[in-house]
Amino acid sequence: MSLEESIKSVGGIRFALSSPSEIRKYSVAEITAPETYDEDGMPVQGGLMDNRLGTLEPGQKCATCGNTAPKCPGHFGHIELAEPVIHIAFVDDIHKLLVSTCRACGRLLLSQEDINEYGKRLSEKSSASPMLVEIISREILAKVKKTKECFFCGRGQYEIEFTKPTVFHEITETGGATRLLPVAIRERLERITNDDLKLMGYDPSSARPEWLVLQVLPVPPVAVRPSITLESGIRSEDDLTHKIVDILRVNQRVRESKESGTPPLIVQDLVDLLQYHVTTYFDNEVSGIPQAHHRSGRPLKTISQRLKGKEGRFRGSLSGKRVDFSSRTVISPDPSLDISEVGVPFEVAKKLTIPEKASPWNIEFLKKLILNGPFKHPGANYIIRPDGIKIRLDYVTDLQMHADTLAPSFIVERHLTDGDIVIFNRQPSLHRMSVMAHYVKVLPYRTFRLHPAVCPPYNSDFDGDEMNLHVPQSEEARSEALTLMRVQDQILSPRYGGPIIGGIRDFLTAAYLLTKEGTFLTKEEFTSLALAGGMTPNMELPKPEKTDPVPLYSGRQLFSLFLPRDFNYVLVSKWEKSLRGATKDVVIKDGTLISGVIDRAAIGAEESDSILHRIAKDYGTEQARRFLNSTLRLLKAFITRSGFSYGFDELELPHEVRSKINETLDESYAKVADLNAQYKKGTLPETRGLSPESALEFYVANELSRAREKAGRIADKSFSIQNAGIIMARTGARGSTLNLGQMTAALGQQSVRGKRIEKGYQKRALPHFNKADPSPDARGFVRSNYRDGLNPIEFFFHAMGGREGLVDTAVRTQQSGYMQRRLVNALEHLKVEYDLTVRDPNGNVIQFRYGEDGIDPAKSDHGRAVNLERLIDTTALTSDQNKPAAESTIERAVEKYGGELNPRLREDLLRDLKSSKLDPKSVEKVCEKVVELVTKGTVEPGEASGIVAAQSIGEPGTQMTLRTFHFAGVKERDVTLGLPRLIELVDARKQPATPSMDVFLVEDYKKSNEKAVKVANEIRFTKVANVIDRVEVLVQGEIDIYLSKARLAERQCTLDDVLAAIQSPKRKIESDERRNLITVKMEVDFASLHIHKNKILNQKVKGIPGIDRVTVVKEGEEWKIQTSGSNLAKVRQIEGVDKTRTTTNNTFEIYQTLGIEAARNALVKEIMGTLEEQGLEVDIRHVYLVADLMTSKGFLQQIGRHGVAGTKTSVLARAAFEITVPTLAEAAVRGETEELRGVTENVIVGLPIPVGTGMIDVFMRGV
Amino acid sequence: MAKKTKKEDIIEETKVTDHKLVPKHEILSEDGKKQILSRFNATEEQFPFLFSTDPVVREIQAKPGDMVKITRVSDTAGECFYYRYVVEAV
Repeated sequence: MSLEESIKSVGGIRFALSSPSEIRKYSVAEITAPETYDEDGMPVQGGLMDNRLGTLEPGQKCATCGNTAPKCPGHFGHIELAEPVIHIAFVDDIHKLLVSTCRACGRLLLSQEDINEYGKRLSEKSSASPMLVEIISREILAKVKKTKECFFCGRGQYEIEFTKPTVFHEITETGGATRLLPVAIRERLERITNDDLKLMGYDPSSARPEWLVLQVLPVPPVAVRPSITLESGIRSEDDLTHKIVDILRVNQRVRESKESGTPPLIVQDLVDLLQYHVTTYFDNEVSGIPQAHHRSGRPLKTISQRLKGKEGRFRGSLSGKRVDFSSRTVISPDPSLDISEVGVPFEVAKKLTIPEKASPWNIEFLKKLILNGPFKHPGANYIIRPDGIKIRLDYVTDLQMHADTLAPSFIVERHLTDGDIVIFNRQPSLHRMSVMAHYVKVLPYRTFRLHPAVCPPYNSDFDGDEMNLHVPQSEEARSEALTLMRVQDQILSPRYGGPIIGGIRDFLTAAYLLTKEGTFLTKEEFTSLALAGGMTPNMELPKPEKTDPVPLYSGRQLFSLFLPRDFNYVLVSKWEKSLRGATKDVVIKDGTLISGVIDRAAIGAEESDSILHRIAKDYGTEQARRFLNSTLRLLKAFITRSGFSYGFDELELPHEVRSKINETLDESYAKVADLNAQYKKGTLPETRGLSPESALEFYVANELSRAREKAGRIADKSFSIQNAGIIMARTGARGSTLNLGQMTAALGQQSVRGKRIEKGYQKRALPHFNKADPSPDARGFVRSNYRDGLNPIEFFFHAMGGREGLVDTAVRTQQSGYMQRRLVNALEHLKVEYDLTVRDPNGNVIQFRYGEDGIDPAKSDHGRAVNLERLIDTTALTSDQNKPAAESTIERAVEKYGGELNPRLREDLLRDLKSSKLDPKSVEKVCEKVVELVTKGTVEPGEASGIVAAQSIGEPGTQMTLRTFHFAGVKERDVTLGLPRLIELVDARKQPATPSMDVFLVEDYKKSNEKAVKVANEIRFTKVANVIDRVEVLVQGEIDIYLSKARLAERQCTLDDVLAAIQSPKRKIESDERRNLITVKMEVDFASLHIHKNKILNQKVKGIPGIDRVTVVKEGEEWKIQTSGSNLAKVRQIEGVDKTRTTTNNTFEIYQTLGIEAARNALVKEIMGTLEEQGLEVDIRHVYLVADLMTSKGFLQQIGRHGVAGTKTSVLARAAFEITVPTLAEAAVRGETEELRGVTENVIVGLPIPVGTGMIDVFMRGV
Repeated sequence: MAKKTKKEDIIEETKVTDHKLVPKHEILSEDGKKQILSRFNATEEQFPFLFSTDPVVREIQAKPGDMVKITRVSDTAGECFYYRYVVEAV
């Protein structure tokens, strides 16, 4: 049978163990000789390179199958081990089996009744108890440990002691330990019955336990461990070959010494050595034994190491592969390109090819290409004849001859040419917009060119970034790329339902300069710019705004040229917002820009509700592409002509302004000095919960940050609006007012770990200062600005802060990358089914309707199915104002159309229509349109909603700040935020880093501060140490505790409370109320007296364990309590606490006390809160999906190996995620079957993935 | 501090269904359950689970094998239904 005939599609994979007889059966040769080659360089028969195991040399034939190297699949050999050894991957199973079964008869250590009971439960497996197998095997293990005597043979059982990695001992009654040798273990395992094994979750038909102890070792074919010939002609063998040689050598020695009657002790040492080699052959990273090394000192890469990890077989070679027809080079910008184009260098275009089948319609064209040959673009590199012969045109002398022989059904591999579709990608591919389809534009020079407007989705810049390009080879692949992946189809991001592509940098500056008041163009300028934007002769030229003395057109007219004629919109420009606030200045009426400036808010990337967004939404993405292209090209032409630069002189401030800034800073310095003086005097106002030191630090830091702000503001005010920096900052082109302030006014406080710089020397940051210098300068406040330059000390502080920034970024990318991987792994297999439920490949429902309303965020209008206001506004234009519809008419219309609408939309529709004054006909029209838009916005079956959700939450992770201890609400409550918090949430941690509660109060309590404080003191955990002044331990066996009146009062405790707390029969307690003294007398030695002192100090006086601090705050009309530390169950029981509203940020606690649904809601709330706090827009549907998945099994599952990703049914998917080898071992003993239903599994075996277009198939009726 | 006196008080103390994070849970009738199973064309085990030890389950006294209908408040749809199948806890 040749290899081609044997190619079949994989239907599934069953995992099992090979029995010794099977290994022998499949073996083509017993390997006995440790030598590989003899003196002539020929493989030794019975050696490791035996030619029956397959062949590597080209031309040489395999002794078993007769094929040459490319076709020979390789054949296994075997080694007969002189003594059985334990397979390292299964030691834990062996241990478990030994512990659970009788040492004499091999039966389970359970009574017959128990066995029957479990058997019955297993066979009657009820759907109400889906985790039965796990429950039972856990119960059995617990029960078995209590059994002392076998229920069947009555023999006493010994304890088994397992010494890692491979040694077992039995502890006999006398206390002596006898070694259990693998031979003995094997005998015991043989006795275990199949029925008992099934109870424990093993599948005896695929893995008998005795097979876990090896008698025969399979030897992999040479193709698995190819040797390489070095340049010097010396052969270098693979690590596995080396290891098997070791095994063979020791094996031989064991056999010889056994035969020659060597003392058993020495034989045992050799057997242990054999065990060591076999163990390291499987896994060279076993803890407890030394690694096996190569002669060079490098640790050997054995089987486990080959499979494991990022570069291992699963992740490195099966989940991801190297591909042909791809190219990588540096990218550079080209604003003359279309946004959907990519510039490809000629050199690249001549190497990447597309196979084109010749037909009567293209044969002449292809002939020309062949004549051009492989070196002239556009040409061809190969011709594939119908008989399968491939002709390489590089070596052909007579191209004409080949062109002439070309006939239909020949395939020509032609060069990449303009208009071909290719796939363009930049790593890290964090979301689907990181891989988009572009049209080729072949260009000179050696970089890939792309339009700057598509930088945001790729997150690329041109400081040396490289990108990859792939050429789809099949018609199917090309059409899929064309319909799903083109740039214009990706303008709207599924993360938040707004445009991610749009104008950036100079485009925005140009837009402002063009559309600002007072920009006028002559007819010549106007027409040439319009032409640059792609104006066509059939477009009408507008009337000039000014005619005297010469006709002049305004910049707004030029911009309006490319707006759709019927476009109406108003919005707030970024410019206006930074100046005056939210007045809607930009007005577009009938496709004409009437007023306002165009800037980031109108055409920017990552700006929702912009003009670009409206066009994409209302006119389609193709129109949006054209609009963007024309506008950006026009803007480019405009700014190229008008020019724009930012220079050193523009950073200069007038003398008065500089002195004003200096004054402000001096004022702040004085204030800081004052604060320090107050601190010394002890008159510093207290901030509750903070020590005087931290209070001082807090005030000073506040003052200094205000100083920088003020200085920055003064500088900002002094700039004219013509200042290039101001223009860039205000239009959103680049930079911020903070940056401007730092360049011109003062840099401000430098910080390390969120604090002013303090470390370095004793009590000072640098030796240039006095110890404990209170001046802001000494702690890293930089008064200078970038323009004037920093002095050396400031420079050093700045470098310290800068370094932290760099470290932070490096750490963050790693953390967020791992979170992304885990999210994708946990969610990849979820897709929308035809009934709009979201399910995993086994049909388990995660959501009953995707996103709860079935709307695809990518097709939504910024998260909503319909933008009602806009729809009503546009309809109102054609509506008869005088005949508003009656409320009943509206209700009837909504009733008629709204049957399928969700409650919220129906409500909104009703409300908006009632306040709209539309006539009855328009009302109907709106209703009809709403239904249409909802249908359009509904998710499509097959949508990989899981992956989209994972990407939408993971991708913004990189943009999050890492170290964010933020003060939420109250100053003394710091809460983890940003990336660490997000990770904590998806990890479903039992204890978050900063647990915290919001305790609401019931009626009487919430109105009175006094009562609220009282409740707060009931909640706050108070131990003895919190209410004392000091404590003295006296040698005569006495502990004197001096209570602090103030502290007692603050916590509303009394001396009696403390007395009650420390009451104990062993202690003799006396109290002196006048002196607030408690004396504890004990008759123990001095040392244990101290222990008792600590015990007493830690005793609880009142409150709830876990609540460290409480703050009573007023929120609106009511008082509530914020805590650090959390204990929901206990706090709910306190009188005065509102049980219905009190919450915590600990999701696990919510799960425990309020149930899984509450935990799901809390998860959504916390994740959304974390993202929003960072200013990241993520559609709530993505968060819903993650939360629903995490709670779908009835308990909180983490996103990661111990949760969702670890409980996938697919063996391959689990193995590819994290714990590769143990996963495979477990699959084998349980006899698991890979059904190939998910995504990763199918990628691994090379089949189409069952989501999206891979989900459907052509169904052919039988003839 | 509240004292544990009568049994009712204890139930009152641990009552969770009126908490704002807990949506409305109700046990479906045999008929209702059948209808839901056929509407989603799924077996019971394919539904999301609700452990028999869940505080809400204890309160509404659902048993393993019951189907619970949950009425969620939704940001996107206003209101929506979710179903969970009550199972024995691990």
